[in-house]
Amino acid sequence: MKKVVLPPESLTNEAIAARLTNAADENLKKGLINKRNLVYLELNGCSGNIISLLNGQNPSFEYTLNSLVDLRYSNSLMAAEGERASEKLMAVLDEDFILAVEGAVALKNNGLYNVIGSLDGQPLTGLQAATILGERASHILAVGACATHGGVSAAKPNPSESVSLQQVLLDREMIKLPGCPVNPDWFLGTLAHLLLYGEPETDNLGRPLMFYSTLIHDRCPRRPFFDRGIFAEKLGDKTCLFKLGCRGPVTRTDCPTRQWNGRVNWPIGDDTPCIGCSQFGFPDAMAPFISFDTTRVVKDE
Amino acid sequence: MQNIALIRLQMNHLVTQARQDIHSLSVMNDSSDNSQTLQRLWDTVSTMHFLSEMLANQAMMAGYYFSTVPAPALPAQTGTAAQPVVPPVTPLPNQTLPPPGERTLTLQELETYDGKNGRPAYVAVGGVVYDVTNNRAWAAATHFGLVAGKDYTAEFASCHAGQESILATLPIVGRLAE
Ligand code: HEM
Ligand code: SF4
Repeated sequence: MKKVVLPPESLTNEAIAARLTNAADENLKKGLINKRNLVYLELNGCSGNIISLLNGQNPSFEYTLNSLVDLRYSNSLMAAEGERASEKLMAVLDEDFILAVEGAVALKNNGLYNVIGSLDGQPLTGLQAATILGERASHILAVGACATHGGVSAAKPNPSESVSLQQVLLDREMIKLPGCPVNPDWFLGTLAHLLLYGEPETDNLGRPLMFYSTLIHDRCPRRPFFDRGIFAEKLGDKTCLFKLGCRGPVTRTDCPTRQWNGRVNWPIGDDTPCIGCSQFGFPDAMAPFISFDTTRVVKDE
Repeated sequence: MQNIALIRLQMNHLVTQARQDIHSLSVMNDSSDNSQTLQRLWDTVSTMHFLSEMLANQAMMAGYYFSTVPAPALPAQTGTAAQPVVPPVTPLPNQTLPPPGERTLTLQELETYDGKNGRPAYVAVGGVVYDVTNNRAWAAATHFGLVAGKDYTAEFASCHAGQESILATLPIVGRLAE
């Protein structure tokens, strides 16, 4: 029989995480859950998502990588380099693996604007890697703005002709985790859900509902100011940032409650408007990020 | 919504709704349905908050009379009553606007209503000029790359096909000159 934990048990984040970790460890040992292979590809982007993931807490990224999955390839984190690294990437193809991709796919000059390594003396382009691995992966996670919809890489004038991962894998289902960068919990939580319970429920744009279902504006602590028409005129004001160009009213994430950097703070909590980094079409569709000329009343413009 | 009896009626509806939701939450054990109910509860409380502010305002300004505005006669607005309100329910300012339909703006005039320097933000769709100054989706008078002060009939048709209900939530300023 399962041991029931009765109060008083510690309910700190660390204690809960420790219990979860131990439970998962036990299940791993008993063979109830299996570690799965993870390939984490960085394509045309800034590698900001992997940096954000390193910031994960409860569970930490190290825990996820060591205990939940077998990280078989990661441009930034693996020890192997050059052709050796590419060989490791190709070796995964015959096995079962989950593919996570951050960064857009550059199409210009047959993908040559984004070369991620070399294979048999030939450049290995992001486009090749995305198509080869995308076709074989058992599950695909598009991580961050560039992979989900082109993001900053595809912003005008888009010199590298970057597109989203979906556009080169038209008939593959994938889970989309927009954000610039992705919040570590959104990625680690989705990955953990995938391993323990299968694919999480998603909306019509492929975003997991558990992280992306609520409009920021609907959980914003400054909402009462919006409803009364009391607006900030400059950064640092404590009222609603709508007139400065806040994109909270069109962006669906749990930032107001989950927050960032170890759940310490978030943009609006630090008096700067939401720039809609998790909305499809970011950054072009969310521009301008800040406007100071809406509330100003000057006679002589 | 101009008189106190109506606000009171609305308030009572909201109280009933909130009680209902609290009851459902207390008996529901499937937590996946909770978020919807919680969202509605949040909206209900927000609306109650707004109404109580409005009541307090009216109490303070006893004797001040709002002129009753006749229902707008423009075609785009006719469906309003039948359309379900899309949350979040943000109070609309159109109840206190001058009777709509009297103004006609030229494209040049429309251009000056760009939301800058304290000016209102207007956009035209299908010959009708709408006020988006305080619409949540038009922060800083911009919306998915569009800036206020222009005719966006084509853009609306391509981006919001079949979503005419959006227009019914916007205050009408007048007509766009042919
Ligand atoms: C470039 C074309 C456009 C795009 C891509 C676009 C996109 C969007 C999106 C994605 C939303 C939903 C936000 C959300 O609730 O998550 C939205 C809402 C809205 N859009 Fe647009 N839009 C466009 C053109 C227009 C135009 C021309 C108008 C002019 C009236 C307009 C008025 C609105 C309004 C009022 C809402 C809020 C609706 C509500 O209260 O639920 N949009 N738009
Ligand atoms: S600060 Fe932004 S998200 Fe918060 S209430 Fe104002 S507009 Fe909405």
